[in-house]
Amino acid sequence: MAEQHTASRQTILIRLTVNEHGHEVAVEPHETLIELIRDHLGLTGTKKSCDMQVCGACTVLLDGRPVSSCTLLAFEARNASLLTIEGMAQGGTLHPIQEAFIACSGFQCGFCTPGMILTAKALLDEHPQPTIEEIKHYMRGNLCRCTGYKRILESVQTAAQRLASAGGAR
Amino acid sequence: MTEATLRVVGASPPRLDALAKVTGQTRYASDLVITGMVHAKVWRSPLPHAHIERIATQAALAAPGVLAVLTANDLGDCDPFYGPAYKDQPVLAIDRVRYAGEPVAAVIAETERQAAAALALLEVTLIELPAALSVDAALAPKAPLVHETLRWAGHFRDLARLRPVPGTNVCHHFTYTRGDVEQGFAEADAVYEDTFRLPPIYHYAMEPHTAIARYDANGLTVWAATQHPFPVRKELAEIFHLPLAAVQVVVPPVGGAYGSKCYTKIEPLTAACSRKVQRPVRLALSVTEACQTITRHGALCQIKTGVRRDGTLVARQCDIRLDTGAYADVGPLVATKAGFLAVGPYRIPHLQLDARAVYTHHVPAGAFRGYGIPQVSWASESQLDRIADRLGMDPVELRARNLLVRGEAYAPGELSIDADLQEGLRRTATAIAWSQPSAPHRGKGLACAIKDGGMTHSVSTAVVRVHADGSVTLFCGAVEHGQGSETVLAQIVAETLGVRLETVSVTTPDTALTPYDQGTSASRTTTLMGRAVHAASLDCRQQLTTMAAGLLGTEPAAVQLRDGTLWAGEQCLTVAEAIAQHFGYPGGEVIGTGVWRPVWTGGHLGGATVFWEVGMGGAEVEVDADTGEITVVRYISTADVGRAIHRQQCVAQDEGGAMQGLGSALFEQLFTADGQLLNPNLIDYRVPTFTDLPDTFGTVLIENADGPGPYGAKGVGESGMFCVAPAIGNAVARAIGIRIRELPLTPERVWRAFRGEKPS
Amino acid sequence: MLQPFALEEPTSVREASALLARYGEAARLYAGGTELLLAMKEGLLHYDRLINIKTIAGLADITRDADALRIGATATHRTLERSPEVHTHFTAFTRLEAHVANVRVRGTGTIGGNLCFAEPHADPGTLLQVYDARVKLARQGSTRTLAIEAFFVGAFEVALAEDELLTEIQIPYLPAHTAAAYRKFGLLERPSVGVAVAVTALPSGVQAVRIAVGCVGPTPRRIYEAETMLSGKEIAAVRAGLPEAGELAGRAADAVSDLHGSADYKAYLVGVLLRRAFEDAYQQAMAGEATDG
Repeated sequence: MAEQHTASRQTILIRLTVNEHGHEVAVEPHETLIELIRDHLGLTGTKKSCDMQVCGACTVLLDGRPVSSCTLLAFEARNASLLTIEGMAQGGTLHPIQEAFIACSGFQCGFCTPGMILTAKALLDEHPQPTIEEIKHYMRGNLCRCTGYKRILESVQTAAQRLASAGGAR
Repeated sequence: MTEATLRVVGASPPRLDALAKVTGQTRYASDLVITGMVHAKVWRSPLPHAHIERIATQAALAAPGVLAVLTANDLGDCDPFYGPAYKDQPVLAIDRVRYAGEPVAAVIAETERQAAAALALLEVTLIELPAALSVDAALAPKAPLVHETLRWAGHFRDLARLRPVPGTNVCHHFTYTRGDVEQGFAEADAVYEDTFRLPPIYHYAMEPHTAIARYDANGLTVWAATQHPFPVRKELAEIFHLPLAAVQVVVPPVGGAYGSKCYTKIEPLTAACSRKVQRPVRLALSVTEACQTITRHGALCQIKTGVRRDGTLVARQCDIRLDTGAYADVGPLVATKAGFLAVGPYRIPHLQLDARAVYTHHVPAGAFRGYGIPQVSWASESQLDRIADRLGMDPVELRARNLLVRGEAYAPGELSIDADLQEGLRRTATAIAWSQPSAPHRGKGLACAIKDGGMTHSVSTAVVRVHADGSVTLFCGAVEHGQGSETVLAQIVAETLGVRLETVSVTTPDTALTPYDQGTSASRTTTLMGRAVHAASLDCRQQLTTMAAGLLGTEPAAVQLRDGTLWAGEQCLTVAEAIAQHFGYPGGEVIGTGVWRPVWTGGHLGGATVFWEVGMGGAEVEVDADTGEITVVRYISTADVGRAIHRQQCVAQDEGGAMQGLGSALFEQLFTADGQLLNPNLIDYRVPTFTDLPDTFGTVLIENADGPGPYGAKGVGESGMFCVAPAIGNAVARAIGIRIRELPLTPERVWRAFRGEKPS
Repeated sequence: MLQPFALEEPTSVREASALLARYGEAARLYAGGTELLLAMKEGLLHYDRLINIKTIAGLADITRDADALRIGATATHRTLERSPEVHTHFTAFTRLEAHVANVRVRGTGTIGGNLCFAEPHADPGTLLQVYDARVKLARQGSTRTLAIEAFFVGAFEVALAEDELLTEIQIPYLPAHTAAAYRKFGLLERPSVGVAVAVTALPSGVQAVRIAVGCVGPTPRRIYEAETMLSGKEIAAVRAGLPEAGELAGRAADAVSDLHGSADYKAYLVGVLLRRAFEDAYQQAMAGEATDG
């Protein structure tokens, strides 16, 4: 737990699982989760864009729920299981959601894509057969400036179909 | 090759960057880590116009981790100005700030957090000066001058004919006359005059501007998210008095651009920081800072059109004023294009077109997808519908009557129309079931526009290397910022050279390694870089077929190359075998080069346009009679792409442009008060979200193989943006019977229109 | 970027209160942090010390009492969105919570944090007012309960003593034949106008109406004058009176002109949303969707 020092010296040693690998990291209270992910762990797939929890580019899954890593404090990930975009593919095999994004061209510049894919995963884990309205509502907090959303929507629908025929969520 | 024999062009293979992008492996400029890298943060002026009295740096310098503070004083041995039209923009403000948000000093520290903390310790004393905070104020007599003198950049041909008005804030006045407008208005049966307005808007590329510079004994290397690596290289060389060969600009995949990363932006400042501390320095802007760096021009368009009773357009007078902010950037060219294209895709014999780029003490405005055409189309296409309404004519029929036909001149000395505009209009109208009446509270509208495509005077070079194992690398400076250029150019290589797409890779743009390219903008990459790539691929093909002919004892003309194998009758050699036999061992390579250079130099845009980029749009809207909220029920965009090299990406690009246009039509606007941007962030600036996706949303591609690019391709990418606002505006007018002349069409604006209130 | 601060993680309300008392303005309670951390990142606020109250057990619980639902302050919007208890008793609240911000903010932000931060452009406080909700406030050794209306003092200002925590929101179950509805409007990320209505209606007439307006003024507020106008009347008379009630509510809401819109437009929208929320609540009340525990 927290050690008592002056404000700038306090560190918290946390244990967490990131993409199924265990880690032990010392973080300061004011460090954000995205700093932990990108700077401590060197996982740069998670992107910082608006820095205000609006755009979703920084989305990661914390115990399955999507969070804005730009603002969530790093220590809040203690004892949790974190999934970043780097953890979606399993040993070189793409997740069906990733395959769907390729097949439907649900990306262009790609900056929003990690957040989109992880949010889609959280949605489909909770709701394997979402309607268009449900997809739009759930993913409304993930912005894209390149695609116009249509192909991302199709990617998520295609992913839902593929997951359903593969026998459920991974 | 006929269409039937195309193997890769026209298909939709997985993008070359697909795997990296869906797995998060793509490394953007903001993901790069250079050994020894430190961080810079920028102190920006809070005032729109002020004299810099003093910058006290001691407290900041003493802060933990701080290595240095950079001010204009550190740039005395440089030529610290940049800009594509005028070199009017200083790397850091010198003596004076000209807009709120302008960089004044940079703190360089070991960590980003330390640099940010030290910023607060800088003490900058500013003496406020009177500011020109609107175009009206800037044009008033005795207005404060944003710049007393102007220095031509003298680089780009399409920015060579600048016409500033001395002693004023007009940094460029484009004017074009054809026939006699007064006579034209006299001959017309009716004359219509309208004023249209658009606010400045923000590109919101999701990756904000980022650069890492390493300035040391070896020279200067900058990793930058930029659309113009070679022009940036040139500016850096000029600023720091370095030879071009000592300056290297490397461009990783870019996280969105839309024009915000055109020309020089934060690269010189980053380089100056590195030079100061002799360490690599990273400068990553926030979204707010990106918004304070470059915007899209707000505009006032006064448009007067004379027409005959039967709908024939006779005369047009258009006066456009663009707020280009404190630094010109490419404002002059935006003004030129907005003015020149105010005609639209129509035949109008008498013209008086004027467009002014006006300096104000606002954030600079510059290149934005569409380059002035979205602004002027908002005016001209809205007015055309009003004219149709007053004449009792169908707006489609009015347009059809006046559309230019293939081969018809747009203007003397200019490329004649190279598209079937009637086909585009017809298909757009059909796509939204134009002839079917709308339900109550609903309406349909459409709009057409053209823009000079491809850039009027540019150079692209490409090198194709065929390796000893038959794999191929394309070296070219085209920047992948989401539009799929990497894949499209690889397809052109594969198709032209005769190898499988999987064997082609494309390098990162790197001015030290990839040959010269003017830039990735103006919808020019598929067409013009494509031509260079095509030529380089042909060069390799010729070398390989000649090589094989020698080895197989036949004539080169008898040798076919397809899917990486060379055939002469029954005999064949793989490319690898041919190279190995030629060089005597499995080594060596074949290198082909290709160049695109400007073809002819007529025209009003610094050269003749290479093709006409055609964009049309049809919208159906529903308006909530209580709240004024507009729902776009249906939007179809039409793009004339000549030949779709990657069909899916043509459609995808156009859809993206249309959605961005929808944002500018319905809700995007930057608010300013006293020269301060009020909403430079995503909480207060609204961009389109998933829930704005219309129920029916798509793109119609027109392919007549009539473009100058490889296989008849034209550019696409900007056209999606041209017509969205006027198509929606026209649909709204038909739905509610009221025409609104100012963007965005927010619910409040519609509500006020219902109440018959005059616009404020 | 966030500048350094120290973290306290009390395990009881008493401990949290003592920390507040000890550090005063240098410290602030921290739960989801979705609003607080954003303001700190922007440099608008700074605290040397954040007191994490998510480490206090039981503070996120949702409990059914005999006459009210008790919602722990650190329950997230997402928990409320998906709570069967909330859905059974307060379907309008479920719907409201489902539309707060985005799914990430909903999963992290808490109802208590939302109410205490008192951002004017927010949803929950408005609806809770027509539910006649109460807030339970605790400090070292003592608690008190306050009507939610009294809790909101001004923009970003609530009636909390320096060492006090909001621990619970209590929502009395709706009486028979009563339903509520919330309608909001806005283009931007945060809502621009929000109107909540609770209606008790029988075939004989509308017995009671409660109205609250939020987002347009510094705090959400009940509009009693409009309520009086519409209560105790037949439905036809109520509907006829809605425009005037809407105008009254619009005026009483103290709308300000800002990036969200002009004051007059917002006042006008209050009337529109009032009409729509009223019909929504009335239909539900008449359909017997009201719940009684």
